[in-house]
Amino acid sequence: MEPLRRFDRSTSLFIGLLIVSFLVATIDVRSQGAGLGDTLRDGTQALFAPLQEAASVVTRPIVGFVDGISNIAGLREENERLRDRVRELEAQVQDVAGLQNRLEELERINNLDPPADLAAITARIFSVGISEFDHIRWIDRGTDDGVVVGHTVIDEDGLVGRVDFATDSRARVRLISDPRNGVGVRDLDTNETGVVEGQGSGPLRLRMFNPEQSVERGHLIVTEGGRYAPGIVVGSVAESASAEAGFSLITDVTAAVDFSRVDFVKVIVGWLPSDFTTPDPLEPPPEPPEPFQGS
Amino acid sequence: MAGKHVVFALLLTLGGLVVQSSLFGESRIDPFGAAPNIVLLLVLICAAYLEPEPALLVAFTTGLLADLLGGSVIGLWALSLVVVAYVTLRVRRRIDDGVIVVAAGVLALSVLGQALFAIAGTLFGQQVFADPGWYRQIVLPSLYNVVMAVVLIPIVSRIMGGRQVRRMV
Repeated sequence: MEPLRRFDRSTSLFIGLLIVSFLVATIDVRSQGAGLGDTLRDGTQALFAPLQEAASVVTRPIVGFVDGISNIAGLREENERLRDRVRELEAQVQDVAGLQNRLEELERINNLDPPADLAAITARIFSVGISEFDHIRWIDRGTDDGVVVGHTVIDEDGLVGRVDFATDSRARVRLISDPRNGVGVRDLDTNETGVVEGQGSGPLRLRMFNPEQSVERGHLIVTEGGRYAPGIVVGSVAESASAEAGFSLITDVTAAVDFSRVDFVKVIVGWLPSDFTTPDPLEPPPEPPEPFQGS
Repeated sequence: MAGKHVVFALLLTLGGLVVQSSLFGESRIDPFGAAPNIVLLLVLICAAYLEPEPALLVAFTTGLLADLLGGSVIGLWALSLVVVAYVTLRVRRRIDDGVIVVAAGVLALSVLGQALFAIAGTLFGQQVFADPGWYRQIVLPSLYNVVMAVVLIPIVSRIMGGRQVRRMV
């Protein structure tokens, strides 16, 4: 350890910066992400988004290559009789296959009919969170495209998340796997309602309001409405559960969406959540764009 | 000369932020469900070469930007990275003790930074520990950081002009 006297000034600065960090965090929590925090996020996004988008384009082949490598590793035993020459060719094909997957996903998502024919726009994910603790995605659509905070985000498999911050040209989507996210849901088989909560990297957690009615493995769970557009598949019950007397019914749900493979999403701009508020109460909500024209 | 190094350090950590958010993480490179925390690693390495006050300010600025680009409460990464930089400043003499000590230091400081974020995040309502795999999200990125340090330490050292700056302090 270096002598403390050498760090007199730096120790003071260290303590000062800790206090500032705590103050900033407290202010941000109290303002619930609005106010100065929003402005700063807006500015930082405007500054970094072009760099992130460029980096995303540049690094896509690397990501595809690594993805390809892991696929090859998984099939190694099955393919061990193949010659080295074939392996080399497979490695080269991985990049092409990655592009093909992206193309197919984009095609599938453009053929997707949003629930109840709600207007929706397609967006591309260009950036993810800064750390393992972030369960967010940045998309290349913003308020200029009709995206506002609260809009539901889906992909071809089901519910992805909800827009929780939007700038003119970009928006942040908080995934349903985020522990701070709760989704009002309905069991399609029993018609009972409940709440699905995120658990980060773990499965989603389902709490049913009526503990008397059991849920069975494989039951399909869809959104109930309220904060999310209704009727969107959230996932399926991973484990059957029945409540013990007087206790709430809790079980796991396997998300319909594989969050690690989402590249393109749809933002349902034709539906506003129950907790949506306009910046000025005298102004009407923003006009949604033209209805989605998916085939 | 010192000013130049501060600018280099800032550019490095800003580059780290861009790389972190576009190359690593879910739906990017994410082996075993976790990715290295490049930003934390770069702050740590830069702190080994910068003078104390600039090192702390670089860590704070980088942390603040990480908060603004991520989905967490503003100030949490700033706090964590400032602590990592400060501890690095206090122990950086041990760099001369060899590769294993450096690797252990990178691992310990990475765990410290990640754990601090998780704890501070919980205090501010981030519910980090609601994730059943929280320990993996702290340990795995730290292990990856040790591997990444093998590549990044020589690069940063070259950019910072070897150990001259560190010895000036």
